[in-house]
Amino acid sequence: MMHEIFSFVRGPMVWIAFTVFTVGSLYRFISMWRLAKKKDSVVFNYFSFFYALRSIGHWIFPFAGVNMRKHPAMTVVAFLFHICLFVVPIFLSAHVIMFKESWNISWRWLPDPAADIMVMIVIVCCLFFWGRRIFLKEVRYLTSVSDYLILAAVAAPFISGLWAYHQWTAFSAVMIVHIISGEILLMIIPFTKLSHMLFFPFTRGYMGSEFGAVRHAKDW
Amino acid sequence: MKQNNIFTYTVIFSIFLLIGTIAAFSQEDIENVHDSAFKKLTRPAVAFFHDIHNDKAAIEECNVCHHMFEGKKRVEDDDSIGMECSECHYKEPVSSIPDLIRAYHLQCSGCHLKQKAGPVLCGECHRRE
Repeated sequence: MMHEIFSFVRGPMVWIAFTVFTVGSLYRFISMWRLAKKKDSVVFNYFSFFYALRSIGHWIFPFAGVNMRKHPAMTVVAFLFHICLFVVPIFLSAHVIMFKESWNISWRWLPDPAADIMVMIVIVCCLFFWGRRIFLKEVRYLTSVSDYLILAAVAAPFISGLWAYHQWTAFSAVMIVHIISGEILLMIIPFTKLSHMLFFPFTRGYMGSEFGAVRHAKDW
Repeated sequence: MKQNNIFTYTVIFSIFLLIGTIAAFSQEDIENVHDSAFKKLTRPAVAFFHDIHNDKAAIEECNVCHHMFEGKKRVEDDDSIGMECSECHYKEPVSSIPDLIRAYHLQCSGCHLKQKAGPVLCGECHRRE
């Protein structure tokens, strides 16, 4: 039974997850493009690569904007979180070795103790985001149930991954939960607020163009 | 008195003989699949009880696992008993020869997946005690 489940979640299910992610992302890009054309076509006339990149450049650099300097804790947590969130899954030894097994390709991986710490950082950051939604009234005002669910979906593969790595208890079951929760996370990216992963260059670029080319002002 | 001495010597000798025999036998039992090419271990070493495994898996021929290749062709009536995996499988893959980590993983979990028996998840073999 375990073999069937494992074969499925590490085989066809991976393809399904990546297909949903890719096709879903393309669908979101296309439908968003069409919506912009219909509702706000002036964006296309005023879009400026220079001002878009200038704005993106300021916002992807820690403390390069006024708002980031006003909220230092949030800034540190947000940057640490996003860096670890992407680096660990891609450069984890166990993940790279699965690519090696399947496709005979591999790349350098992180030392396990480093990955271990980075995963704990991700989890602590999730707790921070969670607390922020509960305790800051301006954030609580904008929070709905789905925000908590999305946060849980992001944290789940990391918590189960940490658990499986340390083999605390019920290893096999937790390992399967880890794989499935990772696949679910990948699949919901295009269809939830997590789509900021896809859209942030465009939303930021839009603001940058508007502020730079039209209003001649900074937007950071 | 004299007879007592002989008895003591016999007991001591027997104990040494017993310890020696146990030591000799336990050396025969293979209990892991360590390769000297693995210097610094990333994950816990894998326990492997050779005889118990082969009994359970009903493996009769040695070269089911101890395979020998000539180029890309498997030599059916030859084996690689007594060789370390790293004598052919290096740190990096060489043409069609899988690298050492891949060779181990395909050899063990690859077969387990095919047979639908035996450990297949990372931590089922690389166990933390």
